[in-house]
Amino acid sequence: MDGQSASHAAAVARDAVFEREVLACLPDVTRYARSLTHDETAADDLVQETFLLAYRGYHTFRTGEDVRRWLLTICRRAFLRDRMRSSRVVTTDEGTNAELDTLAAVTGHAAAQRAGEDMLFERFDLAPAIEQAIAALPEAFRRAVVLVDVEGEGYEEAAEIEAVPVGTIRSRLFRGRRLLQEQLLDFARDAGYEATRRPAAVAAASPAVIRPRRAPRHATGAQARVAQQTT
Amino acid sequence: MATPAPIDCETAVRRLWDFLDGELGAMSAAEVEAHLATCARCVPHFAFATEMLDAVTASRRVPGDLEPLRARVVTALETQGFRGARA
Repeated sequence: MDGQSASHAAAVARDAVFEREVLACLPDVTRYARSLTHDETAADDLVQETFLLAYRGYHTFRTGEDVRRWLLTICRRAFLRDRMRSSRVVTTDEGTNAELDTLAAVTGHAAAQRAGEDMLFERFDLAPAIEQAIAALPEAFRRAVVLVDVEGEGYEEAAEIEAVPVGTIRSRLFRGRRLLQEQLLDFARDAGYEATRRPAAVAAASPAVIRPRRAPRHATGAQARVAQQTT
Repeated sequence: MATPAPIDCETAVRRLWDFLDGELGAMSAAEVEAHLATCARCVPHFAFATEMLDAVTASRRVPGDLEPLRARVVTALETQGFRGARA
């Protein structure tokens, strides 16, 4: 094989890998792009731009890296660059105290508990309401919720995609969750949720084992990492 | 690992989301677990938050028919020299 056909064969092989491993992420990139743009046409443009940028920069992709995370990072950067071009400035209250947002969410749940309105997840198909509630979140909070709670990224991975410190993702996520919870409780009330208090015996009997939803990271812990970043 | 120190309810609920996300350090997570094993007040808060996060995760869905978009992306890539086969 001469040099020209060898390089042609290498390019064909590379494109086959690109198609198999990168283009396969089209649904994930599309979902993320739609969460960023709120507009299907704009999202499709963003998806196309993302894959073009990925193709042009494929030589920078390191084997073993998470391809989906790489694409979502490209997608986010492209989105922000396009938005800067169109001079649309969006300001956001960052949600500066993650613990206060956690406490506020628990307080909100306690109020719903007292009103007998806290069993909404057992009684409603909330999927459409959740989609609407996520779409209504302020942008920075929405991106954090989508990356961590919908796409299943960890705090560090979401921070990498968003190019912000872990503490910022954590604050945005917790504020987003708090707002989401408020909206879902409102939805349940508006949908005519019938308050039926649980019998005291049921409410008190709660031996269910609560475990983390994800394998614990444990090396340092998010709170410790946030503390390290702020010292 | 040393025995987890007792923590109060406020400390436990401040750690709620970090705990559920598996983002706490080992000792902090063990303290929360030990607290939940004995506190009937806090368990419903953690259970509710778990249900909410499970519901949010479950709302994730594959976008509808992506074939037209995929074809459009492939066409755009082909202008850059991409030689992939169309699906």
